Amino acid sequence: MTRDSLDALVVGGGAFGTALASQLSRLGRRTLLWVRRPEQAEEINQRHTNQRYLPGCALPEALRATNDLAAAVHGAPLLLVAVPSREFRGVAKLLGDCVEGDHLLVHVAKGIERGSFKRMSQVLREETCALKIGVLSGPNLAPELMAGHPAGAQVASRFREVVQRTQALFAGGRLRVYGGADVVGTEVGGAFKNIIALAGGVADGMGFGDNTKSLLVTRGLGEMARYGVAVGADVFTFGGLAGIGDLMATCASALSRNHQVGERLGRGEALDAILASMPHVVEGVTTTQAVHPQALAMKLALPIVGAVHGMLFEGWSPRDAVERLMALPVGDELFSLRYR
Amino acid sequence: MRAKDRERVLAEVIQRVISRAGATPQQLEQALFDTLYDERRRLEVERHRSPARRELSFYDQLQTRALKAGPDEQRDILREVVGRFAAEVAGHFDERIYHLTTKVVPPALTLLFNAVSPLKLLQQIPSGLSRLDDQLEISGETGALKRAVAQGTVVLVPTHASHMDSILVGYMLYRLGLPPFVYGAGLNLFHNRLVGFFMHNLGAYKVDRKKKAAIYKEVLKTYAGVSIELGYHNLFFPGGTRSRSGAVENRLKLGLLGMGLDAYVRSLRAGSQRPDVFVVPCTINYQLVLEAETLIDDHLKEVGKSRYIIEDDEFSRPRRVFEFVSRLFDLQSRIHIRVSRPLDPFGNQVDEQGRSLDARGRAVDRRRYVLAGEEPGFDAQRDQEYTRELARAIVESYRRDTVFGSVHLVAWVVFHWLQERNCGLDLYRLLRTGGAEASMPLLEAYRRIEHVREAMRREEAAGRMRLDATLRDGDSVQVLADALAHLRVFHVNPALERRGDRLLHIDRNLLLYYQNRLADRGLPAEGVPA
Repeated sequence: MTRDSLDALVVGGGAFGTALASQLSRLGRRTLLWVRRPEQAEEINQRHTNQRYLPGCALPEALRATNDLAAAVHGAPLLLVAVPSREFRGVAKLLGDCVEGDHLLVHVAKGIERGSFKRMSQVLREETCALKIGVLSGPNLAPELMAGHPAGAQVASRFREVVQRTQALFAGGRLRVYGGADVVGTEVGGAFKNIIALAGGVADGMGFGDNTKSLLVTRGLGEMARYGVAVGADVFTFGGLAGIGDLMATCASALSRNHQVGERLGRGEALDAILASMPHVVEGVTTTQAVHPQALAMKLALPIVGAVHGMLFEGWSPRDAVERLMALPVGDELFSLRYR
Repeated sequence: MRAKDRERVLAEVIQRVISRAGATPQQLEQALFDTLYDERRRLEVERHRSPARRELSFYDQLQTRALKAGPDEQRDILREVVGRFAAEVAGHFDERIYHLTTKVVPPALTLLFNAVSPLKLLQQIPSGLSRLDDQLEISGETGALKRAVAQGTVVLVPTHASHMDSILVGYMLYRLGLPPFVYGAGLNLFHNRLVGFFMHNLGAYKVDRKKKAAIYKEVLKTYAGVSIELGYHNLFFPGGTRSRSGAVENRLKLGLLGMGLDAYVRSLRAGSQRPDVFVVPCTINYQLVLEAETLIDDHLKEVGKSRYIIEDDEFSRPRRVFEFVSRLFDLQSRIHIRVSRPLDPFGNQVDEQGRSLDARGRAVDRRRYVLAGEEPGFDAQRDQEYTRELARAIVESYRRDTVFGSVHLVAWVVFHWLQERNCGLDLYRLLRTGGAEASMPLLEAYRRIEHVREAMRREEAAGRMRLDATLRDGDSVQVLADALAHLRVFHVNPALERRGDRLLHIDRNLLLYYQNRLADRGLPAEGVPA
């Protein structure tokens, strides 16, 4: 296989990775999907399904899967890395053995590494020799992508080549990919919105209405921007698809896993029981574990993040969390952003 | 640069600069008139000097010609201007002097350090040299630097605090048995005849920072790039100018730095046998900086808008240079040059065989970074990002390999104590008045020195900084004594003085300057419980 045998390799056969690979395959792009388990590769190649992650969805017949990472990487100029943040470093290490300097790496993971507080582009930089790294993020719920609904996302990279090649890859399809250069903001937006989606789910679970949801989303966006700017993001990114766009979809949609977890928490279920019943990774939980201590260390006031952390890990009841948030003093709404 | 290469380099520089600046007739016209405008404006200011008047008249004539000229003649005029710049940058080279000077580097350096009475000091060369040898400590990856010189073309990128840096680096190269490196030195350095003579003949080319024309900067960059391509090892100060604040550089100028990558790609495309370019960071660490007072003054006057060219600092006064060097010798103060591991033009570390390594130590085929299809190619935006990666790696090397001494620690402690005691006072007022208390209790100083030093030792153990022998092995009494001895010996006013059981802060600007070197290191700033 030579480097241009494929148009793209999607690394990771979860719901989102499979949805992206399907999009590309439908567009006629030569796409390969790397999955870890040989039986999953066989299922995709033989039966054109991925029952564990996308039950009931038919995959394009042209889409091929493999579990031979080295050969697949060798044949693809562009890699879309669709692995949850918890497993991201492990897969990045595997990629590090076969990626070369001319590869373009675009990840779609929406999380921050626990403990190190690192963004996924930083993990890729540490574990591989690739420099041309980018991130694709936006309101892209996998089932809707599979259904072919129109959607939009942003690809951000400091390398224009990464942005242009990714846009070209998705051009003509149902996913409109806008370009940008703010990698930090795009990654923070994608990760942070999961925390707010958990909070939004809790509000729904407790039976609150749209006023509450709107309050959470708006103040949550403020916290996202405050945190993002503190770690080097461009504040305008949070007004785009990777910020408010993703936040709206995740907080409003019953398809969002983070929202589902929050809703069940709001109804009084225990976190362990909820997580045990879900086959997917719930990024909001790990992201909260990463962001909350970092915000404390950076002396950033992120009350909604604190409340979600309290509910997930400190034994707060949803009612406690609401009362604590409502008891906070109110000030100038945009103070922390305006007076940076 | 050797005579046989000079003509080739000049022709190459002119051709590349013209083809970049004048891709279309409109661009060429704009580049020409911008250059003529910038040069005539510069010369108007200097017209009281007769060389400037002559030059002005030359540019006036070109302006008249250019106004009437068509595209072809405008190209010729621009070529003439670029040729003039390039010839001035390359200077005049005499191979005999080159050979002579490379043989007499050590005496020459002693002369430079003792520029007051060359005759008298010539008699002292042997002892002067041995003192310099004793007090200049060269450490770090010197073996890797030598290997890099043997394997490819090296771009040495030191930190920059003083005009003495280039001389010391020159001496380091001599001591390591390496050839002189090509180096762009400010025109003001050539004004000192003695320094200028040796600079010129040891590989330095002239950089006139008063020339603001964009095309002049292109000539400088291209000259450096072509020289790297021809295998001349280069020396750049990537901070662009001496650090005004005293802090170690954390933002680098990317323009010149990117010429290493440019040369690498060109060499690959040309099928060169030795295409590799290695970038070697190094830190130059003084306890005292000759020009500290002028630099911090400049920093405070125009934070973020340095004057850039300072022609009247301590380096321009030979007696001050002499005093500085002899007092450092008397104190047995050591100057540390620490060489870091070589990097490739993409910021990857390079191993003993000259292979690039990724962050996990795996070998990387660096050629693949610049492939455009199957062949190496240019992509301006991509290459700028690669150079940013390189700059990031250089800054990391600087952080790891900066050597701190007692002066930095004591200045940090006293300055932070001052800020703490004068909470709410703005920086400039604090510097001017010293705040409410003129002195610091000695016991408090010892306590804080010990506290911060412990934190510094932990940082050193984690490989994030380096300490000199006094900081590593001495106790807080020795550390303070060493710092006070340095701070009173050379500067016009001692920054700090002991009076009984108190420490009197006298020149707070200097305290700020020296403590800035420890900025952004996460060291404790507050006091410790008694």
